[in-house]
Amino acid sequence: MKFSESMQKLDRRYIYIVLAIAVILPLVFPIGFKTYSTTPVEDLYRHIDAIAGRDDMAIIMDFTHDPGVMPELYPMDLAILRHCFERNIKVFTISFLPQGAAIIQLALSEVKEDYPDIEANIDYCNFGFKPWGLKLPIMLGMGDDIAKAVETNSEGLKLENLPIMQDIKNYDNIQVVVEISGSSMGQFWVTYARAKFGVDVAVGLTAVMAADVYPLLQTGQFIGSLGGLKGAAEYEQLVDIFAMNGQEFSKKKARNMKWVEQAYKNIPEKARLYKYNKARIGMDAQAIVHVLIILFIILGNIGYFLEQREQKKKYMK
Amino acid sequence: MKRQIPMMIVLILGLLFVAHVFIPSKLSADYLDWFMKWTKVIGPFAIVLGVFSLVLVHYNKIKRKAPNWGYSIVTLAALVITTAVGFIWGIQEGTPYMWIFKNFNVPLGATMFSLLAFYIASAAYKAFRARSIEATVLLVAAIIVMLGRVSIGQAITHWIPDITEWILNVPNLAAKRGIALGVGLGMTATSLKIMLGIERSYLGGKD
Amino acid sequence: MTETIGIWIAAFLTLCMFSFLYKDNPFYKFAEHLFVGVSMGYYIPYTFYNAFLPYAYEPLFLRKDYILIIPFIIGILYWFRFSSKFSWISRYPIAFSMGMVGMGVPMSMHATVLVQMRTMMLPLNNINIILIFIGTISILLYFFFSKAHEGVYGKFTSIGIWFMMVGFGASFGYTVMARISLLIGRIQFLLGDWLGFIK
Repeated sequence: MKFSESMQKLDRRYIYIVLAIAVILPLVFPIGFKTYSTTPVEDLYRHIDAIAGRDDMAIIMDFTHDPGVMPELYPMDLAILRHCFERNIKVFTISFLPQGAAIIQLALSEVKEDYPDIEANIDYCNFGFKPWGLKLPIMLGMGDDIAKAVETNSEGLKLENLPIMQDIKNYDNIQVVVEISGSSMGQFWVTYARAKFGVDVAVGLTAVMAADVYPLLQTGQFIGSLGGLKGAAEYEQLVDIFAMNGQEFSKKKARNMKWVEQAYKNIPEKARLYKYNKARIGMDAQAIVHVLIILFIILGNIGYFLEQREQKKKYMK
Repeated sequence: MKRQIPMMIVLILGLLFVAHVFIPSKLSADYLDWFMKWTKVIGPFAIVLGVFSLVLVHYNKIKRKAPNWGYSIVTLAALVITTAVGFIWGIQEGTPYMWIFKNFNVPLGATMFSLLAFYIASAAYKAFRARSIEATVLLVAAIIVMLGRVSIGQAITHWIPDITEWILNVPNLAAKRGIALGVGLGMTATSLKIMLGIERSYLGGKD
Repeated sequence: MTETIGIWIAAFLTLCMFSFLYKDNPFYKFAEHLFVGVSMGYYIPYTFYNAFLPYAYEPLFLRKDYILIIPFIIGILYWFRFSSKFSWISRYPIAFSMGMVGMGVPMSMHATVLVQMRTMMLPLNNINIILIFIGTISILLYFFFSKAHEGVYGKFTSIGIWFMMVGFGASFGYTVMARISLLIGRIQFLLGDWLGFIK
């Protein structure tokens, strides 16, 4: 078999092994690549951070995603919740998928471990699962009265009686709805809640969909977005260097890598926990594998062109 | 009776919703309130459909002893046990229900989708060919984005992340907007077709 | 203890799934069927506690809002879907929920078409906005099939193809990223949570 032919017919299982090694090695021996931040992530961070310490404003996090996309989206869930708990920002969680509701519980319990003073129904409230078919009635209903539209939290308690709802009535008290999903659910929030009530919407998406949201970012229909593991890594970093250091957000500082490195030296111990760094640790492997995939594309094309040339030669003979 | 009345319901409710959007008034607000209240009662019943369909498919497989019917027992047993655990111990954090979620559902779901990484790597080697100029442009854009989204791109030159941002914010934006406008018009047209009874597939059945 | 058992079970199931990479086998099939069953097991309890009790049972039976017996009955009609003779009855609750499409007509027109068009017609005062404008128009014309793509018109529509190729390339690059991230998540679990190699 000729070289070009053997290149074309390489057993896919060799490719699998090379890929697995390329993922494993950087995870076991971290390289420590730095993450640079991008505008859509910075915009969302700044927008959420603007209501730090306010009782009359909150954010809504919609976890309409299932375990299939958790490696990409769960670090976002943790990073945003950590930002809220650290900066005393009220947060509501909801999901229109039952597995999403279970993910909310996992995420809340994981972040709460490090914030013992944060209390359910005072600092945050989990609305829990609401059936998919009720998403529009609930989205629209919250424009008038959140307590009336959602009615009960995940424990079955009436929202109207909860302390967190005292100063919060409707979307006027919602700084942003952050839709974290692997679907086009964010579009529903834009089409109905934003168009009718003007509430700001942002998304945390799987990377597959990240390129699709740019038209909505330009129009301002999404005020920010986190795209895949990279977006999660950026948000993790912003929380560490600003929120965990008790600093106000500054775009200039966020993009100054020397300042970022300095800021990391001062962060508290709990920010160094593995669970809060998963996306950034993963980005090391991501970088190596991207190079590998590019090599695969180039090698595959070299094999293809060599084969084409040989076939042409044969034909000429 | 079988088709006409449901279609009339869709048309009337649909027109009232159009009016609700264009004519804000107490009446239209009351209409939305009423609709929400009723939909919230109706909605939960629909969930049973999906679950029961799954039970029916696997029950029939077991009954007919179809190929691999033994695995259907696994599916049904998992469904019954998970549901029962949810009802017996509740669904809050710290319950066995959440333990099953964390240790069964999460690894199974996440790993199933992670298999795609291997297939895309294999496809990168075996299928992504620069067969034409258009395909070459696609591959070059993909390679720039792949490099620009990770720190290696930044380490090579700051131009790579900058070009990536430009690709996403200009040609990508134009492409996605062109497609999105078509999709938006399509969505509006489909909604209209449903309302006017031209599109009826959601009703199911033949008669 | 339960935590450790859980991690070992999760690791075993992860490896069962990965075994498919070698070839289809009983371990994979077992894991796949288990996944379907367990996933569906989250629908009924969650719906019961988070939706049926607060939205249907409580208002009707505890607060005695008897008018809600009508939607309660309409909801039950869904279940006729499984009767070969009376499945048409299930169309009533479906029709009721479909009523909201009326809202979708103006709202989706506004959010997905009008707002996008308005932004496209911004003052064309810099090169990028001009490029976005040309790209969008050429793509829209490319999908307009009532006129043959010939001559100057054909050349202009072909610009749309180049824009789309770059857009698809960007999506492809991101798709690679997404798939790899999912694998990284699972390897992080195996190496970190299970084997303890990552701290």
